[in-house]
Amino acid sequence: MKEKVKAFLDSDILEKYLLGDTSKEETLKAERYITMYPEVRETYHELQDNLETFAKMYARKTPEGLKEIIVTSAKKEKMVRRSFYKYAVAASIAIMLFAGSSVFFWNQNKSLQEENTLVTNKIKYLEDNMKNQLEDMRNQFIVLNNPDTKKYAVNGKREGKELKAIAYINPVKKLSYINVSNVPNLPENKCFQMWAEVNGELVNLGVIKQFDEKDKLLALPYADKAVSYITVEPEGGNTSPSVDNIVANINY
Amino acid sequence: MSTLIERHIVSLLAERDDKAISLLYENYGDTLYGVAYKVVKDEELAQDVLQESFIKIWKKADSYDASKAKLFTWLFRITRNTAIDKLRSVNNKADKEVQIDVSDVYNLGVSGMSPEHLDIQDNLKKIEEKYRIVLEALFFEGMTQQEASEELDIPLGTIKSRLKIGLRELGKIYGTALTLLLLLNFMP
Repeated sequence: MKEKVKAFLDSDILEKYLLGDTSKEETLKAERYITMYPEVRETYHELQDNLETFAKMYARKTPEGLKEIIVTSAKKEKMVRRSFYKYAVAASIAIMLFAGSSVFFWNQNKSLQEENTLVTNKIKYLEDNMKNQLEDMRNQFIVLNNPDTKKYAVNGKREGKELKAIAYINPVKKLSYINVSNVPNLPENKCFQMWAEVNGELVNLGVIKQFDEKDKLLALPYADKAVSYITVEPEGGNTSPSVDNIVANINY
Repeated sequence: MSTLIERHIVSLLAERDDKAISLLYENYGDTLYGVAYKVVKDEELAQDVLQESFIKIWKKADSYDASKAKLFTWLFRITRNTAIDKLRSVNNKADKEVQIDVSDVYNLGVSGMSPEHLDIQDNLKKIEEKYRIVLEALFFEGMTQQEASEELDIPLGTIKSRLKIGLRELGKIYGTALTLLLLLNFMP
């Protein structure tokens, strides 16, 4: 450790530091050594005293009136600083207000943008929905008004005896619809489910609900010589039809 | 300069009390003016330097750290650097305007001494002069050690050792009493 201190004292860093001629690294090093090692500290104090002695050798009488000029300009500087502070405070307040309003407008802009997205999505959804419904209506209209359309009355048997449904099939347009007008009451844990045989596979057309679909035409997948069935299934519907429980079938 | 006054000035500076400027001027003005004059070698320029230095001291008052340097060391650094900067800007201007020979600026050694310092110089032993020349080159001319070595035609190692010995042994070489006596007798 002593050798380190000696090497430092032998270098000229301390002298350069005394005059303020050191680089940033050298300054840090000098300050570290001065703080850590008493002998460096002592040398530094001695150098400072000697610098003062040396500088005093060159002292020169200041001219008359210079003191007043210097004191006055220092006072002016103080005033400038004060008014600078005033402006600085004003500027800070302005910046704070600006920042505050910026945040406010930013937030507002953000929520408006979110609302805009929401509304756009809703419009798009409604548009799609409307298009679908319109398309469906158009097809229903075509089917119902077409002279080629055949109307089949579907009558149920067994539990579905009271089931009344009419199927509209148009082999030319390849469209088929069914309207279930009366759904008989079933035990609570049972429901009617519709199926269609398409290309040899049975496709689930969904559970027939009791009331809300009375006046609605339900589209059926069309295929030549297709068969649709209505079965009684457990509440909530089944994944494949229970053949024993067929209560109606529609051939078209 | 008693440390009591030094401490008083430091606390006035910290409080930004403008009495500090008066006290600084009274206690250090002549020495700092001498430093400025030694660098710029012109009365008017030295006055400008002193004024600018005091404004800087006043502005930077809150950056003074008593644990890092004595008040005088801090004042000296500011004045010296202001003077060196002043000299450089004047020289740059002169270079552009009149094309003055730059070598005049670094005119060192015995021939560069002002007459009032020749008096001191006469009273100093030869051994002191060799240190003094190096110290002056580094302190007042703003030269780096390398520049001083080239300008004075002294090896860099010798510059380093003379700076070290000159500064560290200054008290011993001159002796405080002798220095004061010289100051009283020979300073203008």
